[in-house]
Amino acid sequence: MRKLVTSVLAGIGLTLACGTSVYAQEKSLTIFWAEWDPANYLQELGNEYEKQTGVKITVETTPWADFQTKAFTEFNAKGSAYDLVVGDSQWLGAASEGGHYVDLTDFVKENKVLDKMAPATVKFYSEYPGNSGKYWSIPAEGDAVGWAYRKDWFEDPKEMEAFKAKYGYDLAVPKTFKEMTDIAEFFNRPDQNRYGIAIYTQNQYDGLAMGFENALFSYGGELGDFGTYKVDGIINSDKAVAAAENYRKLFGFTPPGWTNAFFVENNQAITEGLAAMSMNYFAFFPSLINEASNPNAKNTGFFANPAGPGGEQFAALGGQGISVVSYSNNKEEAMKFLKWFIQDDTQKKWAALGGYTCNKAVLESAEFQNATPYNKAFYDTMFKVKDFWAVPEYAELLQQLNQRVYPYIVNGDGTAKEMLDALAKDWDATFKKYGRGQ
Amino acid sequence: MATTMITPLNTSSRAASRGLSDISIRNLFIIPTIVFLIVFNIFPLIYSLGYSFTDFRASTNAPANFVGLKNYRELLSDPYIWNNFAVTAKYVIVSVVGQVVVGFGTAMLLNRTIPLKGLITTLLLLPMMLSMAVVGLFWKLLYDPSWGVINYVLDLGKFQWLGDPKMALYAVAFTDIWMWSPFVMLLSLAGLSAVPKHLYEAAAIDRAGPFYTFFRITLPLVAPILMIAVIFRTMEAFKTFDLAYVLSTQPSTEVISIRLYKMAFQEWQTGRSCALAYIVLIMVLAITNIYVKYLNKVKER
Amino acid sequence: MAAVQTSGERALNKVAIVAVLLVTIIFLAPIYWIVATSFKPRNLATTIPPTVMFEPTISPFVKLFTKRSQLRSPPSAEEYAAAPWWERVVFDGGEKIVRDGKGQVQWSGYPSRFLNSLIIAITSTVLAVGMGTFTAYGFSRFKVKGEADLLFFILSTRMLPAVVVAIPMFLMYRAVGLNDTHLGLIILYTAFNLSFSVWLMKGFMDEIPKEYEEAALVDGYTRMEAFFKIVLPEAATGIAATAVFCFITAWNEYAFALIMTNRRAQTAPPFIPSQVGSGLPDWTVIASGTFLFLLPVAIFTFLLRNHLLRGMSFGAIRK
Repeated sequence: MRKLVTSVLAGIGLTLACGTSVYAQEKSLTIFWAEWDPANYLQELGNEYEKQTGVKITVETTPWADFQTKAFTEFNAKGSAYDLVVGDSQWLGAASEGGHYVDLTDFVKENKVLDKMAPATVKFYSEYPGNSGKYWSIPAEGDAVGWAYRKDWFEDPKEMEAFKAKYGYDLAVPKTFKEMTDIAEFFNRPDQNRYGIAIYTQNQYDGLAMGFENALFSYGGELGDFGTYKVDGIINSDKAVAAAENYRKLFGFTPPGWTNAFFVENNQAITEGLAAMSMNYFAFFPSLINEASNPNAKNTGFFANPAGPGGEQFAALGGQGISVVSYSNNKEEAMKFLKWFIQDDTQKKWAALGGYTCNKAVLESAEFQNATPYNKAFYDTMFKVKDFWAVPEYAELLQQLNQRVYPYIVNGDGTAKEMLDALAKDWDATFKKYGRGQ
Repeated sequence: MATTMITPLNTSSRAASRGLSDISIRNLFIIPTIVFLIVFNIFPLIYSLGYSFTDFRASTNAPANFVGLKNYRELLSDPYIWNNFAVTAKYVIVSVVGQVVVGFGTAMLLNRTIPLKGLITTLLLLPMMLSMAVVGLFWKLLYDPSWGVINYVLDLGKFQWLGDPKMALYAVAFTDIWMWSPFVMLLSLAGLSAVPKHLYEAAAIDRAGPFYTFFRITLPLVAPILMIAVIFRTMEAFKTFDLAYVLSTQPSTEVISIRLYKMAFQEWQTGRSCALAYIVLIMVLAITNIYVKYLNKVKER
Repeated sequence: MAAVQTSGERALNKVAIVAVLLVTIIFLAPIYWIVATSFKPRNLATTIPPTVMFEPTISPFVKLFTKRSQLRSPPSAEEYAAAPWWERVVFDGGEKIVRDGKGQVQWSGYPSRFLNSLIIAITSTVLAVGMGTFTAYGFSRFKVKGEADLLFFILSTRMLPAVVVAIPMFLMYRAVGLNDTHLGLIILYTAFNLSFSVWLMKGFMDEIPKEYEEAALVDGYTRMEAFFKIVLPEAATGIAATAVFCFITAWNEYAFALIMTNRRAQTAPPFIPSQVGSGLPDWTVIASGTFLFLLPVAIFTFLLRNHLLRGMSFGAIRK
């Protein structure tokens, strides 16, 4: 027994000794982001920085479902584990009012960030409150929701003929939600283990919300008035109801059990040959164009979120800006990194690695737009994006949306009108609680 | 509870004068643990009791305002919260009953001379050595209608284990049963091996049927230790967070811990979540109190 | 076992053995599946019909320990040919290994998480079992005022859902700077294992005949000497069984680790699911991480299995 105890204690001492040495780095910066390809590309970019300056960059990641929680537990604990955070646009309110982000207004002005980056990206990723001229981050990763589809299924002459016979128009990349719904219905053949469409349904973070927004915004609907915080009559407008009904209809053409789906599941729908079309953020498409990861890579095409019945065409905004954490011990080093990050050369390199730069010049270059099969669709989409609430209590609003929308979309509980009326009431109460609007 | 009392040391003996007195040893042995538990379990709870009457948010620097019983009132009138409690109750019942049936049944099978019994018993413990979050992930893969193994092996086609809101809770409970039946089995085995063999022999001589033997001899004698297993599993099932959180996003599987986690660490409604934590706490204490009383009764019999 | 067995009983025994085998197979099948998946290439992890026969690869383990990044097109033939075998298996999956500014292969977060798990689980188990043994002895041998209430209080601290405790602990830790530290998790795990350990150990202590110590006391041992030289060796089996349970709990804890740690002190349970893949799910990496993580606890349990099985039927042996 005593031997056991001594050896265990010796073991602990040894591991403690090793454990501390792991963190004994001289000059280093830690960046926190979610677990996805762009974070790995940022790591590669950071390695370039290390080559040039000797400052080691470590990109730490966590799954999307926990991303918000992990970031805010660290912020609210006033922890210094992370020097920089590549945070979602919705966080701006909470992070700026909570004092978690360093005010970058002067940095933005001094370094002419407004001239370098596409205006829409600065507006969505950096500025809070809207039109206040106060900036809390530098646009890092532009992103929006787009679609991948199976070119070979769409271009199969037999399918084209059958489609034309059934719907009276040619089978092609859908330009409207109506066409997309028809195509989803057409390809939905459970007996052949083929399904129409893969959409976002996961309610742990903003997956379902982003998916639903794609329909909502293209249908001409809005979440509410971002200026007055009025929601009743807007989130439950006829347009919004029709959008919800269409999203519910699309759910009917998803593969079985598509009730907890976010980006990995939707990409898998394409790689496993399960669905004809699949919704995803552009940042998740790299694994679809490499044959080593997607056996259908040659037959995968991409398109922008289609228009609604009124001809309006929008998409849900993804992407993030990079911010300096107030509690970091290396704020000066972090600022130096940001200065390097916004240089045109760095941005070019960032785009080449696979990151979605927000740099105007790079975005507009033919080189960028032809670099991948989906960059053009990305460029088109980035000019028609809309976003979720960015107020500090956005997480409550998101939870209320998940709570109301999920049972309707996935389980078919109640009607779209009832569900959105209830959501309007929830949101109204929340805004009242925090003294917003009248 | 029967306490074994020991003859106190003769205070004038040589040994007693050399060492510490019994009282100081008792205090030395017991008090650190009690203090530790008070500091790290009770004190935080008192701390959060205060917050449960405020609108405090740990995510802002704004001071907390006293709101009285508002948090409690709103929580108790929220149908979603009641649904969370109903889900939790159903989950606890399904998973604990399942674990007792499977675990005790396996123990009955194992309670005989079997080659490699020790090895088999240890191997059966493997599921409970895994992390629940990882178990959740893997069972999500196993349950998947499109590429899961379970539907293939059982020839269930596209059966939706987690996609169907009614089935999802049972699917989560099945996973829990798989993982924790071995625990019940282990304790049951201990109880079964404690049943004196001569009772069975006497029953055999009386030509008692297997049912009679089971209900009149085996079950009553194993009951106390089985009760302990049930108490621990009920408590654990009531606390379930990781498994359900990772496996399913259906509202029908949203147990109270998940709601609490979201409220506290996603929405950062710290004050309100403290109030909900207190409601949960009172319920758990009540349930355990009933159990422990019952356990003592069983033991006395 | 009964000395005389009728032929009916023997047949029943055979049926029982077959049933035990079936149950064992059912219980172990998912674990087999995890282990098998950890040796598969990514594309074989989700095939239907399931892939049972395959050429094992250790590429999931290479991926588990390295930082990787998705490639949009396969590497050039020269690049592929120049790469060592462990880099090629990553290329085969459509990814490449990330190298830092000095050209060194970058490690993933797994090794440091694994190490954190070892430090935290071992320390908290030693503390919980140690304190639990002392306290159980105290309760078992001495008159304590309000003993039943105190024991209920001790048990009740185990009933609290982790999330309930996590809220005030988070605020307290924030005040004293214990968030994301090893010590912070060690304290938490010790606290919730301690109640379990006191309860189990009290059962074992009650079973040790007090006459043993009394004889020692008469021989001139002090109470302390009697405890260390007579009681502890007798309780070894109980201590081992308790240690197994405490270690399993601390090793696998998820909720506290998720909430209270980020990078420095994060343990493996919240980390492994984060390796689910950045663009496509990679079950093989999760499987290999799970498999390696199961090994220490399985070995520990296996080494102490005799104590565990005997410990659980302690009462039976004494009676």
